[in-house]
Formats: sequence, C-alpha cells, structure tokens
Amino acid sequence: MTIKTGIGFRKDFAEEFLSGSVLKPGFVELAPENWMNIGGFWKKKLNQLAEMYPIISHGLSLSIGSPEELDMNFLKNVKNFLKEYNIEIYSEHLSFSKCDNAHLYDLLPIPFREDAVKHVAQRIKQVQDYLGQQIAIENVSYYTPVAAEMDEATFVSQIAEEADCKLLLDVNNVYVNAFNHNYDAKTFINNLPLERVAYIHMAGHTKVAPDLIIDSHGEAIIDPVYELFEWTLEKIKPVPVLLERDFNIPELDELQGELNNLKKIMKNKWGTKKPLRTSPNRRNKKETYN
Amino acid sequence: MLLKTETYNQQSNFAQYCRDGKDLAILGAKQERLPHYRRLIFNVVKDAMETTFPISFKYIETEIWDEMVYNFFSWHKCSEPQVWRMPEEFFEFCKSQNYAEKYNLPFLFDLLYFEWLEVELYMMEDIQYPKFKKTENWLTEKIAVNPEHKIVKLEYPVHLEKPFDAANKKGDYFLLIYREKESGRVQFANLSVLFTFLVENIVLCEQTLEEIFNDILYIFGINDLEMLQTEAFTLLRDLQARGFVLGVK
Repeated sequence: MTIKTGIGFRKDFAEEFLSGSVLKPGFVELAPENWMNIGGFWKKKLNQLAEMYPIISHGLSLSIGSPEELDMNFLKNVKNFLKEYNIEIYSEHLSFSKCDNAHLYDLLPIPFREDAVKHVAQRIKQVQDYLGQQIAIENVSYYTPVAAEMDEATFVSQIAEEADCKLLLDVNNVYVNAFNHNYDAKTFINNLPLERVAYIHMAGHTKVAPDLIIDSHGEAIIDPVYELFEWTLEKIKPVPVLLERDFNIPELDELQGELNNLKKIMKNKWGTKKPLRTSPNRRNKKETYN
Repeated sequence: MLLKTETYNQQSNFAQYCRDGKDLAILGAKQERLPHYRRLIFNVVKDAMETTFPISFKYIETEIWDEMVYNFFSWHKCSEPQVWRMPEEFFEFCKSQNYAEKYNLPFLFDLLYFEWLEVELYMMEDIQYPKFKKTENWLTEKIAVNPEHKIVKLEYPVHLEKPFDAANKKGDYFLLIYREKESGRVQFANLSVLFTFLVENIVLCEQTLEEIFNDILYIFGINDLEMLQTEAFTLLRDLQARGFVLGVK
C-alpha cells in the first residue's frame, strides 16, 4: 500500500529537502508563480527536486474569483510550467487576489452569490479548456463574509458542479471557518460534493482573538483538526495529503513527525485502498513515494 | 459578463479597502475583522521590499522607508502576478513620485535599481551560452562573453560606497553586472567609460578586438595603442577569471 503525504517545498529548507536526510515526503507541492520563468540557482534546485519527488502545483495568483478577464499570459506560463515538469494536479484557491487590475497577493473571499457562482464557474471552465485538464479548487479560509447571499458550502458545491472541476479540501480551513463563522465543520463537509475531492491540505493556525483564528500555516496541526481529518477520510477515496507550513518553521524532524501522524491516520482509515496518482517526476521515473 | 455590477462593486470596495483602508460600504462584512486583511496583505508587500532592497532598508530612515512602502501599497496597482517581481514596480513607483527629491535621497533611484538588478539577474531565465574556444590570441578574434549580464549607468556609486557617502559623488558610473554560470551568484564590475565602450562593443558588435581597439583610438583620441592593449587585456583576463569573458567565438 502506498499512502502519499507531501509538504510544500520552501527555499528556507531547500538543502535539507534535497538531501533527503530528515524530510521524506511522498511528493512536494509548489506554487507555479514562485518557480516559473526563472533560471540560475533556483532553477537548478527545482530541477534537482523534480528528479527526486513527484510535484503537485498549487497556485496563488490566478485569482479565479476576479471580476476582470483572466490573465491569459500568466496562464500560458503556468501551462508551460506544468508541461515542463509533468505536473498532473494544478489547484487554485476559490478566492480573488486581484481586482481592478491590481494584485493584492492574498486570498480574499468571493461574495457567495448566484451570479458569482456562474462567473467563477465559467472562468474555471475557461482555465480547464485552456490547460486541457481539470483543476482543483480549494475552499479558502476567510475572516469576514462579503455580500453573501448563500452559505459557503452551497457556493463551493455549485461552482464545482457547474464547472465540473475537482476539489482541494483544506480541512484546516474548514475548521477555521467553522470557528470564525460559527457553523458545524462536519455538516459543511457533508454538504460538499466529496466525490470531487482530489487532494487534501492540512495545516496549523493561529488564534488571534477569542472569536477569530487566522489560517497562518505557522503552527503545528492541533488535535481537533486531526480529528476532523480522520472523520473526513471515511467519506472520501484516497487522495494525496499535504502538510502546509509556511512560517515559524520548526526543526524538520517535527515536520516529519506531523507527516507521520497524517500517514498513520490515512493508513488506518484508507487501509489498502489505492490512492490517486500524484504526478511523476519528469526525468527520473523512479517513484519515491512515502 | 455574468457578474452583476453590484457584486463587482462589493469586490472592488473590499479590494480598495485592503489597499488604502478607507471605509467603503462592504455588505455583510464584519468590520472588526477587515483590518486583518490589510495587515496580511501589507506584510507581504513590506517583506518583499525588505528582502529585495536590504541596503535601502538598512540606510534609509525607517519613517521615510515605511511611508514610501505604505504609499506604494495604497496607491499603486501592482500588475505583476509573481511576487518576486513586484519590487520592480516599487522602484518605478518611487521614480514616478519623485521620492529622491521629496526625501532628499539623491542616490535613491540608483540604489533601488542596483538592488533590483541583483535580484533580477539572480532569478532571470537561463540564456543559452555561445559556443566558444579558449585561446591566447584574442586580438584577431571575436570575444565570447557570458550572456547573462547587463551594463548600466548610474549617477551615484551605490555599488562601491555606502548610500550617504555615494550621495556626494554624483558622476557617470558604469557597471557590468552578471550571473556566474555555476554558482548562480550575481557579480559586478565597475568600468571606466572607455572600457564600457570596449565591453559594449564586444557584446553588441561582431567586431574583432583589434577592430574595436582601432575605434577606441579614433573616438577617444588615444595615441598609445600598446598601453590600451595592455590595460584592456588585463581587464579582459580579470573578467575571464571571474566568469564573464568566456573565450573567443
């Protein structure tokens, strides 16, 4: 049985990553916009990485929820990048990070509205047509609703159905949103089209006020999120699971410990079910799944 | 467009608030939580600037630096989807706002440009190297150079001195900045006007070194060919040792 747990590739610990001495992920995730159209030192490191691990890509700047037209030049670069590294899964956030032609470099919630469903679904279809593959959209954490006329689960579900795309289920985001907006996390997950889940994110978060959690990716995963993860796995087919850690990076053996925790839960819940394939690397077909 | 104007306005108001903090009607928003978005977004911009421009950040008074970055964040519409490229827009923004004069930082544009160039060269896509061979007989050959380079002119020697020392030395400074092939490190060399002409002609023209020397003698009114050759060969050997001059084509 192969259960695939991965971690985001970060420049902060690139050398340790590439040495494979402590961290032993089954795949790595990276944001295309941080790695495409580059050369020099980091291009070499990226090529080394691609020799060692399958890569899954998780975008930041497509801004699928923007009111304006898609940036086709950007998308062209993404497409080239996916092709160059033979990346099969491309996911993006169900949010907007650009408006009035100004990038904001963060993930803002889209108004949960009927017209936004149609608008975003059409854009996802446009992206999928252009890339020639389904993409996965991620439920994002948000701290305030904006002009909402429906609940979040309905919004996410309708878009996924109408666009016929996959879902990246971020379990920590569900927990964060349930806490911040006072809804039931399990009911939320039950209301999603779980057969579309192609990929899972797990992360830690930071409580900044008695009634507010920020999705910081700067702490270890807490037990209630592990429990929600465990509960969720019973409802979906095996898919790759990623540990997100972007700030306040601990010793790498601690991160490996979290990966081990996730893997243990996955083995327990998914048993011998075969997971969805993650992307193979481009030059070396030797698989190093863990 | 499938998106209704009302929905677009809500997104636009929210995005605008994130940039300038001015209260605009955002339906159903939890007002006390909106500042978190401003803080998170501003931190991305602030971190990108401090990482890209460490010398500017170190030497420019904190209050002034913060104001420049904050104004950029509030007023400028960033067009670049790749965060690492965004600081180039900050450099252009500072020029458009004439901050060198406003804050009495004459070296500002040169310093921001110099620091941005280092990042740009470090990150830029690989350029195919020309075919070349090693030889001692450079004079009648065309010199092959590392294509991953830029030659720029600065008004202040920010590449040689601390910014406020450089501020008193306005002049014409020429800089060759290039990326080492193996290490990927970015290096630079300060060039005289004459040797800038030499290097630019090596790079741009399909002339032999001998032909370029003849041009230099004519243009710069130099009589001593032997001295020119000696100094030029010293420079070129140095640049060869440093990975800029590769050999001959």
